[in-house]
Amino acid sequence: MSVSRAASEPAPPRSRLRAERLYLFALPAVLLFVVFIAYPILWVAGQSLYTGNRASETWAGLANYRAVLVDPTFWIVVRNMVLWGAITIPVQMLIGGLLAWFIERHTHGLRGFFRTAFFLPVVTSVSVISLVWVQIYAPYYGIAQAYLARIGITMVSSPIAEPSQAIYALILVNVWQWTGFSMLMYIAGLANLPGEVLDAARVDGASGWRLATGVVVPMLAPATRSLLLLGIIGTLQTFPIVHLMTGGGPNHASEVFGTHIFRQSFVLGDTGQGATLSVIVLLLALALSLVQIAVLGARLAPAKGGA
Amino acid sequence: MSTLSIERITKRYGALTVIPELSLLVRDGEFCVLVGPSGCGKSTLLRIIAGLESISSGRIRLDGEDVSEAEPIERGVAMVFQSYALYPHMTVERNMGFGLEIARTPRPDIRERVTGAAEKLRLLRLLGRRPGELSGGQRQRVAIGRAITRKPRLFLLDEPLSNLDAALRVGMRVEIARLKAELASTMIYVTHDQVEAMTLADRIVVMNAGRIEQVGSPLDLYERPENLFVAGFIGSPAMNFLPGRVAELSGRIALIDLGLGTPVAVPLARRVEVGDAVTLGIRPEHVRVGAEGGSTTPEAPVFTAPAALVEMLGSDTFIHLATDAGTLVVRDSAGRRLRAGDRVPVAFPSAACHLFHADGGRVSADPAPRPALVPA
Amino acid sequence: MTPATRARLRSLTVHAVLFLVLALWMVPQIYMLSVGLRTPAQAFDPALFTWPVTFDNFVMVIRDNPLGRIFLNTLVVTLATVAIVVAASSLFAFAAAVLRLRGVTVLYATLLTTLMVPLASLVLPLAILLRTFGWVNTYWGLIFPYAALGVPFGIVILKAFMEDAPSELFEAARVDGCTAWQTYWHVALPLVRPALVFVAIWQFIVTWNEFFLALIVMTEAEMKTLTIVPMQYSGLYMSNPGALFAVLTLIALPLVLLYIIVQRAFVGGLLAGAVKG
Repeated sequence: MSVSRAASEPAPPRSRLRAERLYLFALPAVLLFVVFIAYPILWVAGQSLYTGNRASETWAGLANYRAVLVDPTFWIVVRNMVLWGAITIPVQMLIGGLLAWFIERHTHGLRGFFRTAFFLPVVTSVSVISLVWVQIYAPYYGIAQAYLARIGITMVSSPIAEPSQAIYALILVNVWQWTGFSMLMYIAGLANLPGEVLDAARVDGASGWRLATGVVVPMLAPATRSLLLLGIIGTLQTFPIVHLMTGGGPNHASEVFGTHIFRQSFVLGDTGQGATLSVIVLLLALALSLVQIAVLGARLAPAKGGA
Repeated sequence: MSTLSIERITKRYGALTVIPELSLLVRDGEFCVLVGPSGCGKSTLLRIIAGLESISSGRIRLDGEDVSEAEPIERGVAMVFQSYALYPHMTVERNMGFGLEIARTPRPDIRERVTGAAEKLRLLRLLGRRPGELSGGQRQRVAIGRAITRKPRLFLLDEPLSNLDAALRVGMRVEIARLKAELASTMIYVTHDQVEAMTLADRIVVMNAGRIEQVGSPLDLYERPENLFVAGFIGSPAMNFLPGRVAELSGRIALIDLGLGTPVAVPLARRVEVGDAVTLGIRPEHVRVGAEGGSTTPEAPVFTAPAALVEMLGSDTFIHLATDAGTLVVRDSAGRRLRAGDRVPVAFPSAACHLFHADGGRVSADPAPRPALVPA
Repeated sequence: MTPATRARLRSLTVHAVLFLVLALWMVPQIYMLSVGLRTPAQAFDPALFTWPVTFDNFVMVIRDNPLGRIFLNTLVVTLATVAIVVAASSLFAFAAAVLRLRGVTVLYATLLTTLMVPLASLVLPLAILLRTFGWVNTYWGLIFPYAALGVPFGIVILKAFMEDAPSELFEAARVDGCTAWQTYWHVALPLVRPALVFVAIWQFIVTWNEFFLALIVMTEAEMKTLTIVPMQYSGLYMSNPGALFAVLTLIALPLVLLYIIVQRAFVGGLLAGAVKG
């Protein structure tokens, strides 16, 4: 073995220039983020501290926040959003999960057909859906009241015109539109389940209900977690269905964040209030994503790993 | 076709030092095998040579040119990866010619060189397939073909046979040996399998914990291991190790007390003191055993021990003897038929004994002096 | 009963129930088509089906309305958004998963938080920003905000896919002499093809159907996209639901048909693990 004693000075770092040019790969995404997301967020945060319309703005400190929080409409919005998430997410999971299970485990030739058919509401334009449902709910000539009457349920007026029913009627439309998405997520989850685990459970004598609750549901936890996250985002995004079907009415009964912000900012032109509401929604989203990270953190613990 | 000289390189990941100062010279046309247990740094060293890992200090020269900072392509290396790393979306032909394509070689030249390499590796009929449609052995040949097509200065192979089943592995080993003769280029080959190392290498580099333990020809390492690690790593079944103490010195001979009958005489190459703790090493085929129940062996017997287990393989018999110092494995080619429980006399021919000091270094003289095949 | 017949019976039952649920599920869509095919006299019948059917409504609304122009607007905005999202998110994912550039992990975490940013909270500042840029009633006014909102999702999926690809493939590319760009183009992109297709289709669906921002940015009739015109038609055809539903059907149809064509690739990407827990 020959050893050269010549060179022992440390090697200089790899070409700096080459490494810096590599950051060009990250640039487009970062640029889009900075201009169209980060900057608007900062702007809205600043604007929430001013009052008045765009023509004349005055420093308001936290006055906007106080005004928003004492506004009874705000609390209707909060109630509606809680209802929206609490009903939509679990109901979609349940129906979507059942559909996925039966389609994946018990159909063969028609599997693709069912997968596609139940997903179609997701790809149908939400504004089309909203107007169709307005017609379905309509009094006198709507088909809902006509068919419900046959099974003994009488609807005097459209449910979206009743303050006590409007939000539920809208939630029903939302559930109907998005259940196909939950189904597809669970289908992906089921497809990625190792078949050996199901076989092993069978060998152990688990079947039917026991197999489903004891083995399948826990193993689909990653899909459920994703659906929970996407469901929360979707809830906070809610706008077109409400805007097109009730406009937030009657008398604010079905108001959600989207319609409330829209009204304050674009109908009433009160950018201070609109910005304040925007910031509150952002903070809510941030808080919920922190909860999500906490849950993900728990998942990294060795106790139980997902797929 | 190049000489590679690695000069005092170190590799650190943060506070962790993976390779603490290492130097090595690989000569032009040499087939050099890096061998060692997993985690010994041999793959890291290969990746440093390839240019896939940077070094923290030191120099790497290829034909005298400093390539310490160079990209793999500038070093002119080709590499066969452990997982083959074939591009799944490209045909065999494009996989093999991709490096040339990137180098903007004219299409007809690429075709010619790919076809040439494919011919050598019997891949001609597979050129239109994708890696997913090939067997493990075929993929392996494509991976080698991709490296050949490039006509590299340095040919690097990272455990290329470890993903093949045992039967294919023997076949591919023969194939690589054939290629080695045919290409006559400088090759560096990483493996943890000492049989591959012994059969393929011109020179073996035994590594452990980021350091080079010994460099030498296969037989060199087998016959003259410089330390306990190399002695234990090279050879299968492994060398027997027995703890002992220097009982007496007479000139350049030490008498070693093993706590088992008569002390053993071992010729020395380095000084030891009476009372020093030492380890006596002897290969299974060098242990002599006498007839069952007898007391004579060709050399003076040291002790007698019962056979705990006898494995008869037909050509050889492995006898596991139960001694007070642990199990002693004996390889017997005399066709002796022993049964478990038989007591046999055992002798250690002093010329075949290796003696290692407590620091692991060898203190005994060369057991069987013979001229080195490759000067080291 | 033998196990074979029991299995057949169970399969029949499951299929029957699934078809029943599906029939119920499809009521709104069937109703939409059905009303579109009615004469003005039948339009207000509270029934799912009426007879006879007429295509007059479709003929009339196609003749009377610039649906072609609106369709084109939507297509331009959607295709450009999809292209930008696929390009920007795959480039970023490559930087994070393969090049592992210093600091990109922090950038990734930052971008990830925008997965949770609801558009509702951004419409106001975006509207003002776009006015400053003079982008109200332009394609860019929708394309860039849509792309910015779509990129984080694309990055999450493509990064996971690239991280799952064996790193030796990227090292092989380096040994073959590829620059970072060549590695991205010749190796990384083909490797994550199913995920790219998935991201592209999903972004297409989301963009095509986006309503809120389109409502605010596209105020001129010329520039409107498909999702915002049903509203104005509901006023226009208040007394003629047949015509309204014919328009609605025409608006919904392109994406439904497109999805049916690409659903295999979409579900394929999903099954390949595009969306992980």
